[in-house]
Amino acid sequence: MNLSVIGSQFWSLLLQGLALGLIYALISLGYTMVYGVLRLINFANSEVFMLGTFTTLYMQTKVFGFALTTPTIHGAKLIFVLISSLLASMLVCAVLAMLVEVVAYRRLRAKGASRLASLISAIGVSIVLLEAMGIVTGGRPKTAPRLLEKWSFGEIAGANFRIDTVLTIVAPVVIFIILERFVTKSRLGKSIRAVSMSEENSKLMGININKVITATFCIGGLTTGAAAFLYTTVYENTVFNVGFNIGIAAFTAAVLGGIGNLRGAFYGGIALGLVEQFASALIGSQWKSITVFLVLVIILLFKPSGLFGEAVQQTRT
Amino acid sequence: MTMEHKKTFNLRDRGAEVWAGWNRTTRSVFAVLLIGLVALLPFAGNWTPTSFLNTPITSYANVLVYPVGMFALMALGLNIVVGKSGLLDLGYVAFFAIGAYTDAILTTLFNWNTWEALPVGIGLAMVSGVVLGLPALRLRGDYLAIITLGFGEIVRIVALNLHITGGPNGIPGIPNPPKVFGLVFDLEHPQNFFWIVLTLILLVIWMVRRFTVRRPGRAWEAIRQDEDVAALMGVNTLVYKLWSFVIGAAVGGAAGVIYASKIIVISPDMFNFDVSILILACVVFGGIGNIWGVVVGASILAYLPERIRFIADARQLVFGLVLIIMMNLRPDGLLPRKKRENIAEKGGK
Amino acid sequence: MNKKIVSGLAIAAAATLALGVVATSPASAAAKKTVKLAFEGPLSGAYQGLGKDQIPGVIWALDQYNRTNPAVKIELVKADSQCSGSVAANVAPGVAADKSIIGVVGTSCSGEARNSFPAFKAAGLTMVAPSASAVDLTDPKQKSNGFPYFHRVVANDSFQGPALARYTASGNTSPKYYLIDDQSPYGEPLIKNDVTPTAKKLGTIVGTDSVAQKTSDFTSVVAKVKASGANIVIYGGYDADAAPLFKALRDGGYKGILGGGDGVNTSDFPGLAGSAAEGVRLTAASVPFATLLTAAELADFTKVTGVAVPGLYAETAWTATNVFIQCIKGGALTRAAIQNCVTNGTFTAADKTTFKFQRYGDPSTAALVGGWVVKAGKIEYDKVA
Repeated sequence: MNLSVIGSQFWSLLLQGLALGLIYALISLGYTMVYGVLRLINFANSEVFMLGTFTTLYMQTKVFGFALTTPTIHGAKLIFVLISSLLASMLVCAVLAMLVEVVAYRRLRAKGASRLASLISAIGVSIVLLEAMGIVTGGRPKTAPRLLEKWSFGEIAGANFRIDTVLTIVAPVVIFIILERFVTKSRLGKSIRAVSMSEENSKLMGININKVITATFCIGGLTTGAAAFLYTTVYENTVFNVGFNIGIAAFTAAVLGGIGNLRGAFYGGIALGLVEQFASALIGSQWKSITVFLVLVIILLFKPSGLFGEAVQQTRT
Repeated sequence: MTMEHKKTFNLRDRGAEVWAGWNRTTRSVFAVLLIGLVALLPFAGNWTPTSFLNTPITSYANVLVYPVGMFALMALGLNIVVGKSGLLDLGYVAFFAIGAYTDAILTTLFNWNTWEALPVGIGLAMVSGVVLGLPALRLRGDYLAIITLGFGEIVRIVALNLHITGGPNGIPGIPNPPKVFGLVFDLEHPQNFFWIVLTLILLVIWMVRRFTVRRPGRAWEAIRQDEDVAALMGVNTLVYKLWSFVIGAAVGGAAGVIYASKIIVISPDMFNFDVSILILACVVFGGIGNIWGVVVGASILAYLPERIRFIADARQLVFGLVLIIMMNLRPDGLLPRKKRENIAEKGGK
Repeated sequence: MNKKIVSGLAIAAAATLALGVVATSPASAAAKKTVKLAFEGPLSGAYQGLGKDQIPGVIWALDQYNRTNPAVKIELVKADSQCSGSVAANVAPGVAADKSIIGVVGTSCSGEARNSFPAFKAAGLTMVAPSASAVDLTDPKQKSNGFPYFHRVVANDSFQGPALARYTASGNTSPKYYLIDDQSPYGEPLIKNDVTPTAKKLGTIVGTDSVAQKTSDFTSVVAKVKASGANIVIYGGYDADAAPLFKALRDGGYKGILGGGDGVNTSDFPGLAGSAAEGVRLTAASVPFATLLTAAELADFTKVTGVAVPGLYAETAWTATNVFIQCIKGGALTRAAIQNCVTNGTFTAADKTTFKFQRYGDPSTAALVGGWVVKAGKIEYDKVA
């Protein structure tokens, strides 16, 4: 156990764990919302994320013409480029997520197929997207240009408040707050919650289930797209199979927090990010995943529905 | 138009009808013929009328053992877990890995032979099935899924990090199984390995059918249909779920032992999450709960990427497309199960 | 009607026979022969970058040879083994069964090599590998060696490891090493078996970590490195993972030396790592191909392969292919003849040095590992490491 690291780097690890965890949280919102309405693990979400990162990359390099050697810009211009990339990524991911719903799930839902069939169908979509991108990129990673200079606001107790770290914390929190208000206050949001609780009753209440489901996928796509933008801008690279590990982490976060539950996804993501950072630092990066899963098992042993999950409803195959 | 046609014609039901109509002798002859034909598959590559089965670049007879035969065997094992008792296991590769590493360690470090390692491999896989099952089976549906996924990853990462499992390089120099009935098990005789796998498949099929008509089978069916009702009716759901888990694990472990003894060198990257997903896809593709469907489905899904190698780059992409199209067209799988298993009819076999 | 058909068939049959006789006439000594070489490596799957970087080297070498219109043409067979031992275990027997394949450029990955050996050894098929630098492949004491059919044109890591430890410490009076590997069959043995002993002799190892490939966030690693007070960080792995790691280290305030092995030493690396690449010290048993080619040659390479910048190990793939080409030119057209030629011959590498293969497959020039440093976005040769 490497305890000396904790002494000097504690706040730094905490800050970074928070930042990483919030990226996970945004993606896990996509998983958890879809699960809420469909009781399905949306396996293809990881590839939606991957395509969001490439969209961001495309915007920055092709549309705005940034190369690796382009001098960095500041001020309003920078903000314009960033916002455009963010919106593009969110848009593409939302559209893609809705397409996934149509291709992988809709027909199966109409036929009353088992959830496993939908799962395999989603896996098929995931494979197709991943392989296609692999062929296009030749398997090589792509680097994003440095738009966000790693300029620091300042350090407190070893924790470096760099602008990208701050962005990765502030943006997801803002998005989450907006989303929560939307889900609790707006009509569509309430419909989504209704369908999550009971599809049967919602139908009886005259809610258009298909519309709600499409909207859910759309929202999940929006948050995933935002996460993709943040990821590309902060880590400055992406590769065709980046979605795989991130997807599993985000899904684990959703389960950890209590799947089907927005708050659960949010805090689950944060928890996961923190566990990953501290486990890596204390025990070693090679044991990171195992620690995460063990933590998950322990939490689920005491709280079978996750940290914030309500009592699990009847889940049929 | 074709939709309605498919609804009224269920291949499996039709097959079951035909089967029920035969007497014991006819059934035995049919079974022997079928098994005989399958046993001849490794030679089909060399016989001109069936040489279209040959896989480009890879060796057809070896492909039949892994992935085709192995996936069919493991799909049968996973089918017990997913199909019979409705538990979503996303980490089945863990049992495969445990069997393989057990064989590797016992034969390279302690000079056991494969046949001696086989029961140990199966036993260890079963133990790990219990270890995984006890905490996990209290959970429902997708919580179980993520725990099993985690378990699969944990086994792989442990194998990657420990010295005794050889780290990233794995364990080389695993001996082939010793001769049995004059059959030599080595590189030149992949068909002998295929026959071992085939024997295991037949054993598992026989075992599953025995269970199905007895209490375990009925308990599993009850749990699969509605777990709460089953519990109310006095079925000890935890014990039966654990049973299906452990039996499924045993099958995976057996497959792992044979695999290690054939491939001679194993490494952690052979036991990653993709394999778990592939096996699950085989089960769903073939028809959850249906033994024949699962075997046929696994054979097709395992064989297809190798056969279409001439497409080179886009091979896996086509595989993904096949999954999507197949699920959309036939969501219940190639040979979907009957809605209600007819117990009395099966008592005769 | 029938008569017409019959007579038509008769004419056709006669014509075919006549043509057939002419075609197989022994008098046509100018008949071209074709032999095949197989490339075994990852062309699909998670590691496709590796194979796709190498195969242009093979394609270009074969094209340069075939366009001279030789008596014996060489055809390439692509055997995709996905850098997976289990796939290789099926691919190798298939390749071995194709009798027209007389040699294998491969494998790219050490795991593939180990699982291919049984089939290739039984078939007497010679391998010349462009990468696959795991030490056990040519170690007489290991069960997993490829003797006598396995050869490679890269120095194995038992040479590169110590060189890397030395080169990164040059100019440093009290080296404090932090060693990171990527848990791959390449990176982990390089660091743990080969770099570590020399690092212990030259200085102290203040920390180690094993970070799986495709990790995106390195904050905890950066934290540990900073806390350890290391002044040298050595990464055993590939450029795609080294780049974000080095970036994270620099962004996190690490000011010491960064070093990597030949997996990092690619033309892509400076682009991937941006400003963090500056000053990075690299060793190479293989070098970026572009540094060895003239502008005209590079243009030809691009024309033939469609690749603008040759990737990792394209150079060694080219050298490996030319080993076979040289033997084929010398008249070795059977597997036995190829094996004989390869084990005994003297060959020229892409950097114009000559070498032979040692008994267990390593190249004789193995001991010379080059030290390279990144200056202004370009990888430049510095000195012998």
